Amino acid sequence: MKVTLNIRRFNPEKDEKPYRKDYEIDVPETFRILDCLDKVKWDIDGELAYRRSCSHGICGSDAMMINGKNMLACQVLVKDFKKKYITIDPIPSLPVIKDLIVNMDSFFKKYEVVKPYLISKEQPPVKERLQSQADRELIDEAVNCILCGACSASCPSLWSNENYLGPAAMLKAYRFIFDSRDDAADERLDIVDTTDGLWRCHTIFNCVEVCPKEINLTWHISQMKKKCAMREL
Amino acid sequence: MSLQNSTSKFNRWLDVMFRYRKHTGSWAWILHRFTGIGLTLYILVHIIALTGLLKGEAAFNEEMKLFSSPVFLFAEWFLGILVMFHAINGIRIVLVDLGNGARYHKQILVFVYILTVILVAGMGYLIFAHV
Repeated sequence: MKVTLNIRRFNPEKDEKPYRKDYEIDVPETFRILDCLDKVKWDIDGELAYRRSCSHGICGSDAMMINGKNMLACQVLVKDFKKKYITIDPIPSLPVIKDLIVNMDSFFKKYEVVKPYLISKEQPPVKERLQSQADRELIDEAVNCILCGACSASCPSLWSNENYLGPAAMLKAYRFIFDSRDDAADERLDIVDTTDGLWRCHTIFNCVEVCPKEINLTWHISQMKKKCAMREL
Repeated sequence: MSLQNSTSKFNRWLDVMFRYRKHTGSWAWILHRFTGIGLTLYILVHIIALTGLLKGEAAFNEEMKLFSSPVFLFAEWFLGILVMFHAINGIRIVLVDLGNGARYHKQILVFVYILTVILVAGMGYLIFAHV
């Protein structure tokens, strides 16, 4: 099957401006977009740069904008696309380092802001910290996040305001706020209960559409909005 | 980084805004924004139109005749579309934010569209049945 990849290229050492380049390749229809990129890099243009690690949808390295939508290159097949002319861009709103590689510093800084670790005021138990099944169900979806950044980079609120925490960081806040073993819910609610936190989410649902782990981020954000509103009563 | 320097921040925002694929939720958001801006502009027009009241009753009634011309009736109907969609989608947003609506936002949006069409059609009947 003939496929044309239209890739946004940019090498800061050589190029003044980013440009687009077409690569025609012949691949089986069961190839993933990541395999196509590998083929381009290995057979045609060794300078093409992109992140890949596990290539099985767990490490979250290869989030990119494919045909105008953020997704993991290792989770979509060539046959998923009707048109065989596929555009590939780095995920939007983050500074490009080279080709499809973006600088994720700001993404992880925001992630650290919500304190993504267990804060417990109790003495550590001898064995594990127990949790009832009902309590665990509350965070069933939220713990699946792989931090690929597809959601935050798809958010129009974040495109227009880079101080916005973004869905990924707030999902992590939810994960600990609603964890029965954690004692710092109020502390974290204070962090997200700001104009650049929860309340800049305009329920556009772009993040929900792109999440490779099918997490409904907007639902999690709405649960925290509810909690913040109840706190004021 | 030279990418930042070569294109302005606004241009990059515009580029991604146009190129990024729109989903049901994005369209609802875009419509909500535009109807909101439209309603804000309408309030200005509305206040300017009401200043006729300061000139006395006769002058105000004379001005009001202008608004019963067919062009303004259509404009009023169009305004109705903005009001209806913005109000009903507002209820959807409340359900999403403070209810459990984030799980059913697409289904609710279908209801929003249907209800808007029905109410706008009904409004059209009320406006034009008396012409």
